[in-house]
Amino acid sequence: MAEERIGVYVCNCGTNIGKVVDVAAVAESAQAIPGVAIARSYKYMCSNPGQEMIVQDIQEHALTRVVVASCSPRMHEATFRGALKRAGLNPYMLEMANIREQCSWIHDDTVAATKKAKALVHAAIQRVKFNEELESRTAPMCASTLVIGGGVTGLTAALELADAGQQVFLVEKQDHLGGNVARLDLTAPYLDSAQDILQNWISRVERHPNIRLFLNSELTELKGFNGNFKPKVRTEDGEPLELEAGSVLVCTGYKEFDASRIEQYGYGRLPDVITSFELEAMLRKGKLQTKAGKQPRYVSIIHCVGSRSKEFHAYCSRVCCTTALKYAFEVKSALPEAHVANLYTDMEAFGKGCEDFYRKCSEARTSFVMYAKNDLPTIREASAGDGCGMLITLKEQLSGEEIELPADLVVLMVSMEPREDAGEMARLVNISCDKDGWFIESHPKLDPVATTTDGVYIAGACQFPRDIAESVVQGQAAVARILSKVAQGKIAVDAVYSEVQDKLCAGCYTCYSVCPYGAIEFNEEKHISHIISAVCKACGCCATACPSGAIKVRHFTDEQIYAQIEGIL
Amino acid sequence: MAVRANPNLIDDLEHFGARDAIKCYQCGNCSAACSHSDDPYVFPRKSLRLLQMGLEKPLRSALDPWLCYYCGNCSEQCPRGAEPGETMMGLRRWLTAEYDFTGISRVLYRSWSSELAAVLSLAAITGLGFLGFGFLRGGGNLSVYDGPGAFLPAHAIHVFDWTMGILLGLLLAINCVRMWYFSMRNDQALPVPFSMYVRYLAVLPLHFFTQKRFRECENKAPWANHFVLMLSYLTMLTLIMVFLKDMQAGPKVNWYVHTFGYLSAIGLVTTSILAVRGRLKKDEAYHKHSHESDWMFLGLLLFVSITGIVQHLLHRAGLPMAANITYVIHLMGVVPMLALEVPFSKWSHLAYRPLAIYFSQLQQAAAQAKGVVPLGKPVRPQPAT
Repeated sequence: MAEERIGVYVCNCGTNIGKVVDVAAVAESAQAIPGVAIARSYKYMCSNPGQEMIVQDIQEHALTRVVVASCSPRMHEATFRGALKRAGLNPYMLEMANIREQCSWIHDDTVAATKKAKALVHAAIQRVKFNEELESRTAPMCASTLVIGGGVTGLTAALELADAGQQVFLVEKQDHLGGNVARLDLTAPYLDSAQDILQNWISRVERHPNIRLFLNSELTELKGFNGNFKPKVRTEDGEPLELEAGSVLVCTGYKEFDASRIEQYGYGRLPDVITSFELEAMLRKGKLQTKAGKQPRYVSIIHCVGSRSKEFHAYCSRVCCTTALKYAFEVKSALPEAHVANLYTDMEAFGKGCEDFYRKCSEARTSFVMYAKNDLPTIREASAGDGCGMLITLKEQLSGEEIELPADLVVLMVSMEPREDAGEMARLVNISCDKDGWFIESHPKLDPVATTTDGVYIAGACQFPRDIAESVVQGQAAVARILSKVAQGKIAVDAVYSEVQDKLCAGCYTCYSVCPYGAIEFNEEKHISHIISAVCKACGCCATACPSGAIKVRHFTDEQIYAQIEGIL
Repeated sequence: MAVRANPNLIDDLEHFGARDAIKCYQCGNCSAACSHSDDPYVFPRKSLRLLQMGLEKPLRSALDPWLCYYCGNCSEQCPRGAEPGETMMGLRRWLTAEYDFTGISRVLYRSWSSELAAVLSLAAITGLGFLGFGFLRGGGNLSVYDGPGAFLPAHAIHVFDWTMGILLGLLLAINCVRMWYFSMRNDQALPVPFSMYVRYLAVLPLHFFTQKRFRECENKAPWANHFVLMLSYLTMLTLIMVFLKDMQAGPKVNWYVHTFGYLSAIGLVTTSILAVRGRLKKDEAYHKHSHESDWMFLGLLLFVSITGIVQHLLHRAGLPMAANITYVIHLMGVVPMLALEVPFSKWSHLAYRPLAIYFSQLQQAAAQAKGVVPLGKPVRPQPAT
């Protein structure tokens, strides 16, 4: 160890660190530690001059290892690893001491904070002495993609990928393409026909040479890893088929809420209380009438059926307000004499063109009746003298009156919810579901179509309620992500991963059951575990769980951890 | 008890001039812009809502439409073009029809042709009636205008005026009682003791003569116009009802009455012409929409004022026959104007507006006395009197 020459760089981060921690004192104390060749402080280490200083020092002072005391490694580890690489050092010879998030941002006592920063830097210096040179590796990237779900999102993605010249396997559970959009009449707010939108795409998908379409088919198993998946599909004829796909795109969509769960709406009991999808079917047939075959004089559309409720779904289904406006408009166009009422809790006509559409519906003489979120309307059959089929009682919020509204036809805007098989799908492709059952994205803002499993993407309404335009955008976004991986031709595999030391492994399966990424396979022949390095995220679960201590996490070795602990004490 | 909604109400109100109320999305900008909107009379928003929901009963008992003077500020602020000012105007017409026990008001407001037919037939009856009276029971000679033997003797016209006045007053009084019943005797209203009615009685003449609340509106011009019109009209009414004999005393000009006569004639003609001009130019929110009844009202007012002036000029010019004919024509305007407008249409607001202010103050006083406020709103402390 004596010949190690360590450079220590303490960052002020403007005033972020400097105003609480005596940065110069930290550098000075580091200088005194054996093995440290040089210790400096600087205003912004991550800046170009800051990085240049490190590069120059490595070259001039023949440094072998570097410690940067600054922000969290989440922020700038890649930056400083890059600097080491430029200077000709292995990037893993870097260690960061987090003296911002874990020190200056959470303390005001400058003396104590400086003392803590010194300890953190000391720990990093002790640890870096045990860092090993590691090399990143690559794995091949298969260019074909498995798209699960032939709704509007899956169709978009399949066509985009196929047009880019890549092979697509499109798997659809039903006997036809189009998903939920195929059940619609017109789309809001521009009133284009849903069939027209779909038909063009469906016929292109069916004829596309790069798309292999599997109707009445299901994914039964997904083996392999990013760039090298081996999906098993049960096809129409019941034949299991093993495919090869570099990426998997899940766009399995949603299902509608079961309206009979809200007792007081009488769905299933009152014949003229129907769901939004039932109204779509009526509109598509061009027959807007009650069960008795009469033209409805009073049509009420109830919003938020199952959405934004304590009892059912807390979330907003997002598309129903605008869809309800569309119904109001379509009913008014078909039956100009009918009175159309929208019973809402809050109007959320948020999309492009939707506010104008809201105004248009208002001008088409639709009334908007506000009920309270936790005080739902009640629907009952009217008596003979009432002049209508049903009566809706509600506490109208904006007039403050308890009112009774006549109705001949009631349309329930049922909320969107995860499909009943969403959990099963999540397990198959190794992704997670949130508390409501929607698939979870890698980052809600910055990585909305990727998942925590590399190579598995999600798009459309399987992730959260979305309208057609948003689903298409997501499908296209996922394609962009997939094509960028395909363009790179190979998968970069991080140098940091866990390894099983074969001789120590007893084959107990413990690691297999704790791995959250499905990175561990079992070698039946040798009866030992094997970690797929391309899948492993180096979380360390297996290493801590292994009763024989057979698993080693690269870059997080026992020596490194012990040295760090000793350094901090 | 739930109130039954009548989805047809908003369509009905279209005939009364409230055509855009459905566009309102209850943002409340109108009530925020209004200087009169205050708990518990939050208008125009609340009235618009009751109308949108088709809640006839609470709307019939509402005083709010009468507390609005239509300065138009709310309509200017409305982001949706729901015309809250014109909606309040439409509601006032509808309320006038609701108060009217005969049902005539409803017919007149909803049908322009009925209104025209009513005016024309009343005019014809009046014309024939006065000619017949003049020839058979009056002076009998169309070329005698004043003095003994006048074709339409002042004392006879005086009796006719008072008879008609009492009759119309009676009709209006019955409608006022209905207004009181709707607004003060519903299940939302608080009971008001008789002594309180007496204590607040001064509110009626105060607001009748000054329209001081109208002056508190953002736009002052309409108040000024309205005030001059009302003063001129009242002056003329007093002259006709009390001093008719002195007005038609003969060739002599009685300056103590004629000065007032000339002034009020100028006032009536000027303000009517200004109103017609405003309604044609539509440059102010309160003039943008004109219901047929507005035109009928202004038309009759101008007709009556101008024929009155011409009649006077002809008399002064020594043309008694022309003056007598013009007199009959003048009466052909006066009778339909008063008979239709006072109990059944626009003129009735001379009673409903002060009454609404009176009733609303009584309700607030009753709430204050009880420590509660209608609609469950907290009572704001009032300055000691």
